Amino acid sequence: MIDQKIVDPQHLFFEADREKRFITGSEAVKEAIKRANVDMAISYPITPQSESMHLVGDLFAEGYLKEYFRGENEFAVMSEVTGAAMAGVRVFTATGGPGTLRAFEMFPTWVGARLPIVCAFLTRGVNSPLTIQPDTIEMAFMLDTGMLMLHAEDAQDLYDMLLKAFIIAEQTDVHIPIGVYADGFFVTHTRETIEVAPEDDKLPGYNPYSSPVPVMDMVNAPVRQMRDPFVMKSNFISYATHASWQQEVLAAGERARKHIDYYLNGLLEVENEKADILIMTSGTAVSQSREAIALAREEGINVGLVKLKSIRPFPTEEIKALTENTKAIIVPEFNRVGWLAREIKSVVKDSDKVMGGPRVFGGMTMPVELILDEIRRCVS
Amino acid sequence: MLNRYYRVQAGPEGYLPPAAASMGVMLPEKGEALVEGIIVSEEEAMQKIAEKIVNAKNPVFFPGPNILWAWNDSVLEKAYAVNDLVQSSGARVIPMPDYRPKYPMINPEVEINPNHPNLTIWHNHIDVCVFVGVHCHYANIALKIIRGGTDCYTIAICGEAGHEDAMISLRDVSIDTLRRLNDVIKSTGEGLK
Amino acid sequence: MNKGLVKISPCFEDVMPQEYKELVEKGSYGQDYGVADLGSFKELIEEHPLCAGCGLALSMRLILASLPNPESTIIVGSTGCSALAFSQVALHNIHSLFGNQNAVATGLKRALKLRFPDEIKDVVVIAGDGATADIGLDMVMQSWFRRENITTIMLDNEAYANTGGQESGMTAEKAVLNMAPKGKNFPKVNLADVAQVAGCAYVATCNPAKSRVLEKAVKRAILAAREIGPTYVQIYAPCPTNYKLKPDEVLATVKNREKEGTYPTGEFISAKAQELFESLEGGSK
Repeated sequence: MIDQKIVDPQHLFFEADREKRFITGSEAVKEAIKRANVDMAISYPITPQSESMHLVGDLFAEGYLKEYFRGENEFAVMSEVTGAAMAGVRVFTATGGPGTLRAFEMFPTWVGARLPIVCAFLTRGVNSPLTIQPDTIEMAFMLDTGMLMLHAEDAQDLYDMLLKAFIIAEQTDVHIPIGVYADGFFVTHTRETIEVAPEDDKLPGYNPYSSPVPVMDMVNAPVRQMRDPFVMKSNFISYATHASWQQEVLAAGERARKHIDYYLNGLLEVENEKADILIMTSGTAVSQSREAIALAREEGINVGLVKLKSIRPFPTEEIKALTENTKAIIVPEFNRVGWLAREIKSVVKDSDKVMGGPRVFGGMTMPVELILDEIRRCVS
Repeated sequence: MLNRYYRVQAGPEGYLPPAAASMGVMLPEKGEALVEGIIVSEEEAMQKIAEKIVNAKNPVFFPGPNILWAWNDSVLEKAYAVNDLVQSSGARVIPMPDYRPKYPMINPEVEINPNHPNLTIWHNHIDVCVFVGVHCHYANIALKIIRGGTDCYTIAICGEAGHEDAMISLRDVSIDTLRRLNDVIKSTGEGLK
Repeated sequence: MNKGLVKISPCFEDVMPQEYKELVEKGSYGQDYGVADLGSFKELIEEHPLCAGCGLALSMRLILASLPNPESTIIVGSTGCSALAFSQVALHNIHSLFGNQNAVATGLKRALKLRFPDEIKDVVVIAGDGATADIGLDMVMQSWFRRENITTIMLDNEAYANTGGQESGMTAEKAVLNMAPKGKNFPKVNLADVAQVAGCAYVATCNPAKSRVLEKAVKRAILAAREIGPTYVQIYAPCPTNYKLKPDEVLATVKNREKEGTYPTGEFISAKAQELFESLEGGSK
């Protein structure tokens, strides 16, 4: 194994000197995992995710990880990750698009089993017809799995969110899985300058005995322990237990708020919040919106920007407070269903002021003019 | 949904009471504790615990697998420290040896199970209970069921981040914390005489 | 092993319910018990909610009594009747989903190797025929292809029993069950042969009517998985409820099927496994 220095997360995230790298999003995944003290990673090919897991494989070959292998399909990989997490190691995997849907049954299962797995979702469209192009529609399906969801705007976010996700997920009071999402191709396959911590520093290892549930190693008590038993006798007691279990998992997501707030410096970021028109979005749609806002400013239109970093938990109270006096909210999205607009509509006081769109999908890019047109419409 | 005025109090609260965390109750930071959903100092919470236990008709400790089984070296010392608390409190001990949905049923006279903790509380007429050494996930499940269906006052002594679903909760509890709590319970008990 | 795992903290000994005291005093952890000792020690499973005469229940008792090192064994199960009983088993065991047991076991075993490189940690999959030969077949076979160090035990009751008695791949041809209203129209899957070509170091088919044979198969499978690679044991464990057998007819059915050749028993031992067994069993075979 490569010898790295274990440093406090606080130091790695906020204090360590950072060096600049001109790299792709996939390479940013590698840089994060290199410093994450991951024990095991399990991979399966799917575009546009594959390259990031090739690079994680390289880390294994170089001695940064103790174990790495290719599983047989995404459902199996997510199951293999489950076994590893239940045995008490820190584990990483990634998928995207159809792979996400193939594996879907495992995601609420991870949550119910209180597994602090970190999974990168490098998003793409889903069939049919077959597409490998950028699209964030899989996030719509993931909203109610119970998993936490962070959405990266760029490679820098992807690097930071992945590293921080391990620490947030492994808090005893949270201890549920986190999906870190980045828009496939737009982030994974483009190059930008990002800042990374020294590569000989790494996070402290995972302590399985701080877990809120016993680890399956025949070391910790109780010896008579099943992960996770049926509670399905047909009586009120069984139903109440299952209900209480589900509530506890929801509560774990709520408890994550303060940790995300601390490590990501808020569930959202705001620029020019007093503007009458706010663009509120996540992922690469944020970058496109910045451009549109600059053009609007040249036309004398004052537009603010709200970048949502945490989709689960959703920054409900923050958005409520922010949008009290806003006249119009524009929600550009890279998917057909407009899941983010739906989420925002469900929390702002007057949902009529939420303009769902512009939306593009199927791999289309989002021209800045499309957002600018929407801004102009809001003004008139 | 978020209710800043939600208080975590003895029930029975109803058919399916919410998790306190979903009602806006936050866990305390290091050095702090929770009393009925409000963050207070650890000292204040210890005093409240002592008062509740000393004034209880039938206080019962529910030690969980983490201290019932001597699975690592630090367990024994903790178990003895908890036992000292039990002695000073004049409380009964009913163990939670594991978490399985037990078949065919538990004997509520001698054990408690996180899937139906209310049975043990009803059977033994417990008015104040103390969770200690129970894994956090199972403690929270049980604490909510108790709040929903019984009038028992719940206290959680936690070595990790604490429990919003208990009426009083300490966090990061070490042997030293247990000893300090024991002193508070003893002096509170003496004050009553 | 971690002896403290089954040691009660002394100050709480007097309040522990009787059955836990028995688990400590008369349990099989660290002991050399086998099926011949049943009745003289505290079994890893006692209470369970399975039907009267259930072939799985009996087979589970026998398997658990045959584990070479119960104190170092972690079991992975799957959805089905057996999962209802596994919550009562006094070992760490996992139920994740229907069919993913060998994938979960793969991750578990590899992670335990990382955490405990110098200790025995036997990972044993115990699942039904639907879980093993139908919904989970790809993951079962892939774990064999990858040569994972895990033992796979199929409890074959020739049906989906927990969901109300539907045909499975392991059901005999022509048998009429739910979802096969005109009788099953293809032969029983020969998974033992598949296991052999897929890379298993040791394969056995057996039944609970011959408990010593079953014990030997389970022990050999686990020891070979520990040292060599994947192993497979298939146990015929009929379902009295869905096959309309009286509880006292179950073992007679097992014996009869073996006798008439419709459920043969036997072993495949790879050369490496042969070598291992000879060194472990002192050439007693």
